[in-house]
Amino acid sequence: MLIQLNFKSGKPVYVQVVDQIKSAAASGALKPGEALPSIRPLAEELRVNRNTIAKAYGELESQGVIESRHGKGCFLSENHSPLKKDIRRKMLIEEIDQAVVQAHNLQFTREEFQKLVEERFDAMEKKQSQNTGGAQ
Amino acid sequence: MNTDQPAIEIKDLVYRYGRAEAGHGFNLTVPRGKCYALFGRNGAGKTTTMKCLLSLLRPKSGTVRVFGMDPRKDEVAVKSRLAYVPDSVAFYPWMSVRDTLNYFASFRKHWNLKLEGELLERFRLEPAKNVNALSKGQKTQLALMTAVCPEPDLLILDEPTSGLDPIVRREFIETVIGAYQEGDPGNRTVFVSTHLITEFEGLIDEFTIMDAGKDVVRMNADEAREKYQKIRARFEHEVPKLDLPGALSSRIRGRELEVIVNGGGSAIMELLRAQSPEELTSESLRLEEIFSATLQ
Repeated sequence: MLIQLNFKSGKPVYVQVVDQIKSAAASGALKPGEALPSIRPLAEELRVNRNTIAKAYGELESQGVIESRHGKGCFLSENHSPLKKDIRRKMLIEEIDQAVVQAHNLQFTREEFQKLVEERFDAMEKKQSQNTGGAQ
Repeated sequence: MNTDQPAIEIKDLVYRYGRAEAGHGFNLTVPRGKCYALFGRNGAGKTTTMKCLLSLLRPKSGTVRVFGMDPRKDEVAVKSRLAYVPDSVAFYPWMSVRDTLNYFASFRKHWNLKLEGELLERFRLEPAKNVNALSKGQKTQLALMTAVCPEPDLLILDEPTSGLDPIVRREFIETVIGAYQEGDPGNRTVFVSTHLITEFEGLIDEFTIMDAGKDVVRMNADEAREKYQKIRARFEHEVPKLDLPGALSSRIRGRELEVIVNGGGSAIMELLRAQSPEELTSESLRLEEIFSATLQ
């Protein structure tokens, strides 16, 4: 799992950590029961305040995404079926909203935007089928 | 012990003489357990402020409190709870690394020997080596050890990483996060002055920008990055004449307009959007850009 912080996003740093761990859980990059990095090494690696990581982990624990086991650290919850659909939906909506705003700024109409989304879906699917075909 | 008491509280501090107006002092409150940064240009008064905390300078007026105590009246009690790493460190030239650590430990009630061992290893410092034979980076590492091993409640860092190579700078920051903060998370307070704002960015909870002996901006780092934005608009022909209320600064380059705001970004975005720009974007400022935008 790779966490990358962006200080130009205007998003609080601990929220960025929370969101990225949730994304990793949703995508399967983190599996149920898998250990998360301990607070200290993660804070050192990202060079952020230790308390920022502690706050992010506290938030994830209160949301039931991770569990802390005494003396052993934090783990992705066992019953963590990739995030519930409504949470995943919310995460996607945030991304779409940003793209919609950007489309507006770049002066694309709704129809043009929708068409572009279709095109990108096709392009990704094509690329994916090529990749899996090539690997086998 | 009153745990609500701030680690540092400075009120109406005045130590500038001559042309600076009296009466407008410097104010600062550093809550416990936070990493607090003091930013300012050279000569803004950062080192002077720190020296007042250490009772190395006597302010002309105003009050300075460290854990509720006056550093001048309770010098010993204040100094037992803090440690200081200055920008240029000096040790007794006849001492070895080992002697120096013993010497500093002799002034302290508490000294974490296990931590000392870990840091000696991490910094690859040879105990028998004479301090004169140390590089600038190694001297700073030794100074950091003398500050961290007593596990003080407050760590004061004055421009600690200037002039050091990137690897030493990185190790320094990691040590503050790991070895120092981890020991008692939530209670260890860091007060740092630095020009290397970007390197310390992730560490900083709150900050004050000072200029000519006064506090100009005091903010929470996350909130600052949310409020300060750089908005760019490019127009088809020329940039229309607009009144942009609340903008900190604006600059026109050809068909492009760049506006910096401290809050109210969405209102300005709306105003600009109404002018149908070809392109309109916004991004948050990093702390270093906020610093420049404030003092320019």
